[in-house]
Amino acid sequence: MTAQTVPRGGTARLGAVEGDLLVERNARVDADGKLVVAGEIRCDGTVEFSGPVECRKLRLDDGDATIRGDLLVHEEIEGHDSGLEVTGTLTARSVDVDRRLRIGGAASAETFEVGGRLEGGATLTSQRVAVGGRLALAGKLHANRVETGGVLEVGEVELDRLEVGGLASVRGGSIRTSAEVGGRFRSEAPLTFGSLEVGGIAELAGGSKGGDVEVGGKFSADGNLTFGKMEVGGLGSIGGDGAGESVEVGGKLDVKGSLKVGHRTEVGGSITVGGSLEGTDLEVGGKLEARRAVFARGVEVGGRVATKEGLKAGQLRLGRRAEVTGPLVGGDVRIGVRAKVEDVYGDRIEIDDSAVAHRVAGQQVHLGDSATVDEVVYTVSIELGRNVRTRSPPRKVDALPPFPL
Amino acid sequence: MSPLAPPNGSPPRRREVTDLYATVLEVVKRYHGAARVTRVSYGAGMPVDRLRTFLERLLALGLLRSEEVDGRPVYEITPRGQEFLDTYWKMRAYVEILGPAQGRKAASPPRARSTTPDEPAPS
Repeated sequence: MTAQTVPRGGTARLGAVEGDLLVERNARVDADGKLVVAGEIRCDGTVEFSGPVECRKLRLDDGDATIRGDLLVHEEIEGHDSGLEVTGTLTARSVDVDRRLRIGGAASAETFEVGGRLEGGATLTSQRVAVGGRLALAGKLHANRVETGGVLEVGEVELDRLEVGGLASVRGGSIRTSAEVGGRFRSEAPLTFGSLEVGGIAELAGGSKGGDVEVGGKFSADGNLTFGKMEVGGLGSIGGDGAGESVEVGGKLDVKGSLKVGHRTEVGGSITVGGSLEGTDLEVGGKLEARRAVFARGVEVGGRVATKEGLKAGQLRLGRRAEVTGPLVGGDVRIGVRAKVEDVYGDRIEIDDSAVAHRVAGQQVHLGDSATVDEVVYTVSIELGRNVRTRSPPRKVDALPPFPL
Repeated sequence: MSPLAPPNGSPPRRREVTDLYATVLEVVKRYHGAARVTRVSYGAGMPVDRLRTFLERLLALGLLRSEEVDGRPVYEITPRGQEFLDTYWKMRAYVEILGPAQGRKAASPPRARSTTPDEPAPS
């Protein structure tokens, strides 16, 4: 059967077409109610359809097609050097368009492949969405896998995997397996995620929950956050309480509420926690600030410690010239050379040379050369270096005073 | 909008040549070894003739590789290209963190910025 043709620049009013339909450049088709084409619609150049369209296949070549109404394609939409605009809904088995796809209503297809940009005014449902440039959607994006080379700006998401080269902005939802974004990721509402990997900056709304977080530059959660392993190259901040398996931050970590970490916490610069900080191990290169900090195993702080209620750990190591406010409590406690601390409680306490402490209470106590301590009590033994200064002589007691924390 | 541009309506950052290379690499990466020139052109928002120069440079640097499929070249990102992208995005984040807040006076607008749009997709 030969194809029915709407010639170049012509206009036709059509209802049902038994075979294929060829629409030539700058032609217009007015749907008589609804245009139903049993075969393929082939558009050669820029064309326009007024009214809803249904066909088996839609092929676009070298131009843009506009459909003012709904579009139902039983098989594929394929475009070469062309774009497609549908003002109503779009339903197809697959969509492959080079330039631009714009959909006013809801869109549904097993796959969407768009070279340039995809813009949707409502929801989009698909197995796989791949867009070279930009994907912008006013409604919900529901898909298994979404890949965008440049920018993604969508409403709520329900996805399995997301990959975006540049910027991704979503309004909450869930990304079950992984989100990988090169530049910046932002979720304006709570997001549930399997893992989140962002090269530059990631911003999550409070109440987000997920697995591992890996961010090259800056990570922030505007409220409470539950996570797995957190690795941040630069700055991290949590606007509420945080709970996770481990934390590794290269620069600075600020937590407004409390932070509970199942395993290790490593911060290169400083960590500030408004409430309590808990975990197994802590290593801080610079400064630790918290209302209280309790760790089951080791704590090493290079610079300054400031707590209100104290810092407690199985093994506590403070660096050379460290400055501490708030009590220190440990099994083994070692205070570095020339450090300045307040009260220290522990089983074995070693105060290095020239360090200064207010009160020391331990089973076994060692005070290095030129150490200065106001008051020392011990139960088992004491070793004193040269030129140790104490306000009152060290006292051996039967029982140590109760430790804080 | 620049991939790392602030979302609060401040002027977008002008795309510099490294941004363009990164954009091309990101678009190529999304096609998983099947990136054709026209698709990358639409995705990166760059005319084909200019894009070809960028692709040649990226090939020469070993950040991309290409092969013929059905008589046409298709492009794929290399591990070195991925390394470039990782470094690029991390550095972009640090520049944003360190740059405007601490490095410049509020009264003097940043000289490197302009209103040139830099989103990867064509309009």
